[in-house]
Amino acid sequence: MRRLAHMTVLQRVWWRRMSVMVTKELRQLFRDVALIGFFFWAFVMDVYLAGSGTSMQLVNAGLVVHDSDQSESSRELIHRFHAPYFRFDGEVAHPDEGIRRLDFGDDVVLLDIPPRFHEMLASGEATAVQMQVAATHSPQGLSAASYGARIVGEFGRDASARAMGLPANGDLPLPVVRSDHRVWYNPNQDESWFMSISEVLTITTIFAVLLPAAALVRERERGTVEQLLVSPLTPFQIMFSKVVAMTLVILAGTALSLFGILHAIFDVPMRGSLILYFAMTTLYVFTTAGLGLVAATLATNQAQVSLMTILVVAPMINLSGTWTPPEAMPGWLSALMLLSPLHHFVNISYGIQLKGVGLEILWPSALAMVLLGGSLFGFGIWRFRRQFA
Amino acid sequence: MNLTRIAAVASKEWRETVRDRMFLALAFLIPILWMLVFGYGMVLDVEHIPYALLDRDQSQLSRDYLYRFQQSRYFDFKGALSDERAAAPLLAAGRIRAAIIIPEKFQERLLAGQAVGVQTLIDGTFPLRSDITKGYVIAINAAFSEELAVAYVARMKGLSYERARALVQPVKLEVRYLYNQEVRSAWTIAPVLVMFVLTLAPPLLTALGIVREKERGSIYNIYSSTVSRLEFLIGKLAPYIGISAFNIVVLWGMAVYLFGAPFKGNGLLFYATALLFVCITTGQGLIVSLLVSTQQAAAIITVVLSIVPTMLYGGLLVPVSALGPETQIVAHLFPAMYFTNIVHGTFLKGVGLEVLWRDVLILVLYATVLLSVGYWLFRKRPIA
Repeated sequence: MRRLAHMTVLQRVWWRRMSVMVTKELRQLFRDVALIGFFFWAFVMDVYLAGSGTSMQLVNAGLVVHDSDQSESSRELIHRFHAPYFRFDGEVAHPDEGIRRLDFGDDVVLLDIPPRFHEMLASGEATAVQMQVAATHSPQGLSAASYGARIVGEFGRDASARAMGLPANGDLPLPVVRSDHRVWYNPNQDESWFMSISEVLTITTIFAVLLPAAALVRERERGTVEQLLVSPLTPFQIMFSKVVAMTLVILAGTALSLFGILHAIFDVPMRGSLILYFAMTTLYVFTTAGLGLVAATLATNQAQVSLMTILVVAPMINLSGTWTPPEAMPGWLSALMLLSPLHHFVNISYGIQLKGVGLEILWPSALAMVLLGGSLFGFGIWRFRRQFA
Repeated sequence: MNLTRIAAVASKEWRETVRDRMFLALAFLIPILWMLVFGYGMVLDVEHIPYALLDRDQSQLSRDYLYRFQQSRYFDFKGALSDERAAAPLLAAGRIRAAIIIPEKFQERLLAGQAVGVQTLIDGTFPLRSDITKGYVIAINAAFSEELAVAYVARMKGLSYERARALVQPVKLEVRYLYNQEVRSAWTIAPVLVMFVLTLAPPLLTALGIVREKERGSIYNIYSSTVSRLEFLIGKLAPYIGISAFNIVVLWGMAVYLFGAPFKGNGLLFYATALLFVCITTGQGLIVSLLVSTQQAAAIITVVLSIVPTMLYGGLLVPVSALGPETQIVAHLFPAMYFTNIVHGTFLKGVGLEVLWRDVLILVLYATVLLSVGYWLFRKRPIA
């Protein structure tokens, strides 16, 4: 009985020390005014800007037309290249002038309609229109061509319906395959959902790796870690308290973005469990912090640790699978990306918010994060102990 | 201005950098490693889309139709579904990104000259990819339909195939891609990666180099010395600009020789503007370093200021024309976009100053303003 009471006292002391250390870390962080100001900028403004006006889909692509026919048909065809995909920027007298506009980068598509276009259509002759696409951005270039083909295809179908004396805009009495699409999870392909979620992931990652790593190395660089080591704190407590403090701050930032921007402004749905979402974000921040801690034990000063962590952070963000399709990566690289916690968290974050799924589907990603985080922390604490043994 | 004093500051800074082996190694390695990983990893081609299918018709014609998907390099067959409900968990887990459902009587209706709808379920989590997937499906459907319709019209009306084709599809679209004829993702991405790396690496080195002195207190040696503000800044920044000046050549070489991007423009123009851009990003690092007091803050602020605007507004993955009105304004406030224009111009388009003068002028303006602000912010007599 007495022994049990003794244990609880020890435990209470242990927790009390932790809370003192966490408070110390939080105070220290909040006194860095520039950093806190930036924290708000990143979690609020950056997320807002990313969601409010960026589009990777074909939007507002500048179109110039060289119309050698100037007929009813050519005008109808031009009219069909419309917003939001294309932005009609006027006609040019000569194709070379159009190419020059493409060179300047003001426009990306030049449509060239041949002479006698209307005449040939009316007489049932086959004709062709040319489209020059600036492929400096390859996905958008392909997309412009694909939309162009669809528009011209429909225009041709309507023209042939008229030629056969049938009503336009209906199904022709022909054996054709109609494309019926159903886009799931984000039926309107609303890019603000995708972008704002992706931006929260980016910002969370930057802060989760860099904050604890720098905090740890700073103590060593300034020599204050010696004071901590002669105190009754264990190395685990010294390290873990930093991670707990930074995790609390980052969770607050995530909540700010989620409720203040994603839900309030962009109407991003939360189809899954909110509690699961925050639990998984906590797990992610811990795992990612482990990465920073390992870097911290390998570096001797803050400049080194900053470079090392950023060396890792930039590929984590760029190759997470949100910007570019992971299927397209070469095998060795996609194997390497399995080691990135963000690779797994992307599935979880989009899965909970947009797909409304839970752990029954996401458990492999969650398990991968637990394993990664566990080994990173274990390694970090082992190195940290050894350095001061 | 005393050149000896500038040289003294520069050589002190250089020695400090060289003696910190890991810092030095990272200063040169980071650009190379990033270029390697991003160059190989950031493939924009939407290919090998994992899909499943449900063939309710099981006919000759439905198999012919599906064969087109199986043959396409855009789609990767992951299996046949037993019923429509089986698609949901696969899509939810991200195991497939599309499911194709062929209705009953597919063959019967087509042979009778009627239209048939084929349903495609597409994962909309990543809108660009769902849009491109949609485009592929529509293209495959259109090609398949055209063949059937032409044969049908030719048979029914007793026309030649050529005449029937002109009747069914009177207008063809002939597409030519400029600047990147085969629409290779590597040609798009490798040149702008040079821009991306040069936005991130130089300001980081600079910001850390200066805040390091502030945080450790060694900056007081400078405050109390005879070195003037300008001499200190020039001497301090010179080694970092030097490192980046070398890295530009390495990055350019990797883009051209490793990733096979074409370089059609003037090499001197590219190098000069890249150096100008490095001065700008270094100036950004300088300003950040003067406004913060810890290296932790310097690193985070520089990264957030560099990665985020470059990814979103720098024309790296999103064309600037596709941005909304507010974001357009923000994009024009960051220098990355102008350098992207120069990168596209010199690498892919092969145009010179006659087209790019606007962008070069704006970059010169940026460099002047940023470095002047940096000079103005740097005080030898700290206010606080």
